[in-house]
Amino acid sequence: MRINPFVFGITVLAVFLGVILSFQAAGVWSVSGKTTSDGAVQPSVEDVSTIKGWMTLEQISTVYNVPLSEIVAQFSLPADTPVSAAIKDLESDTFSAEELRAWLESRMAPVESGAAGVPTPQDTPIPAALPTEHVAPEKTITGKTTFQDLLDWNVSEETIRQIIGGDLPAMTTLIKDYAVQNGLEFSTLKTALQSEVDKTR
Amino acid sequence: MTSQPLPVSPVRIKPRLRGWKSLLTHQAFRRFVQLGFATFILVVTLQHVLVGESSGNVTASPEAYCPFGGLETLYQYITSGGSFISRTHLSNVVVLVAVLVTAFLFRSAFCGWVCPLGFIQDLVSGFSAFLRRRFSFLRKAVNALKKHGARLAFLDRYLRLLKYAVLAWAVIGAGVYGVMVFRDYDPWSALINIAKFSFTPGIVVLGVTLVASLFIERPWCRYACPLGAASGLMGKLSPMYLKREADACKVCKVCTKACPMGLPVHAATTITSADCICCLECVCACPREGVLEVKMGIPLVGQK
Repeated sequence: MRINPFVFGITVLAVFLGVILSFQAAGVWSVSGKTTSDGAVQPSVEDVSTIKGWMTLEQISTVYNVPLSEIVAQFSLPADTPVSAAIKDLESDTFSAEELRAWLESRMAPVESGAAGVPTPQDTPIPAALPTEHVAPEKTITGKTTFQDLLDWNVSEETIRQIIGGDLPAMTTLIKDYAVQNGLEFSTLKTALQSEVDKTR
Repeated sequence: MTSQPLPVSPVRIKPRLRGWKSLLTHQAFRRFVQLGFATFILVVTLQHVLVGESSGNVTASPEAYCPFGGLETLYQYITSGGSFISRTHLSNVVVLVAVLVTAFLFRSAFCGWVCPLGFIQDLVSGFSAFLRRRFSFLRKAVNALKKHGARLAFLDRYLRLLKYAVLAWAVIGAGVYGVMVFRDYDPWSALINIAKFSFTPGIVVLGVTLVASLFIERPWCRYACPLGAASGLMGKLSPMYLKREADACKVCKVCTKACPMGLPVHAATTITSADCICCLECVCACPREGVLEVKMGIPLVGQK
């Protein structure tokens, strides 16, 4: 059967684009590691291998509850490193995503057992139902802290209003989300609010 | 009684199109399609470079549209249940599927009609041909070079196998090491990341490819492109093929001269080579109506 060259070209184009558009219509499409069909990708507290080069120091600081100053000091980064800087943009001989992952992993690892008087894992088996999620120290603001948490920690509404420079949002709003929505630096907000929380201890 | 020769059905000579009518050919349409895809990649690249990804923006890297990235990450995607090797995404796998489906139906038409790297090589070769037409000393120099290089023509058939070795190395390497081992040597990756000013072997390969394109059409596609190799292998199952009517053909070799992949079209009755990119340059170049045509038949057995 003879095929007209014009028809051939149009059919090639239709099939090639048709396959791609069909996948897109079915939701099977993503051009970035930043998002999936489930939404924005965040590093996982349990798994440092989920840290990607495009993630920012602020994200790492918040999710792993590591002060930014500690990361800066550990990897000899410039003191004026912006919190919004992506890891891949800060790569040097002393800093990379791999180095950061390794450091965070070692930082999160439990203290070595075996010293006199300290029970070993063999002595005290870990209960199967032990929560694996990283838990921040008490009364520490993290990316999961809501405005209700602040009130629960005895920070007054008036103080919060003064710091955020506006009315309080819904009490269940994450402070981090509020900062992002209002164009505020989460780390700055976090530092100011944390100092108020510390006063209540 | 003298024997009379059997009447031969007359073969029409194609009318020569001039002016705006010359734009109404399938080759003009093909160039338009190639230009469209190349422009799309250029826009994506500029957007990625100028807007960046340091903030909350998601600007796709042009690498996200590379089907070969899909081939490199396919093993990890299947064995890990959905994860990708670094710098690849779901879009790479989807575009790869589109390329393979296209190859299954239309041979390596992706290479001839869509691939921007192929288009760039076409542009360089076209520019070279323009210069040779314009300046006789260049024409003579290139002809002399080709004459001297003719003794190396026997290497051509062996060098064409190189792309299968590159394909095996890139795919197996990515599967074993979990990284794109071919990326640093990939001229396409070097080109779309040229704004990073990082010197990689890919920059050298790109330079060699572009310089070679001045003398040979589509050198990367002929000898080293792993995606072309994969597409060509899949295309062996395609029902499409080119048919040359040997009885009506005057063996003027215009088709062979027009073929950017250097296939001896004039010497074959059916063109089913894995190297054929279905650009249909030969069909357009053939001066006689109905001598060289695109046909459809049962793959492997019914294409005669």
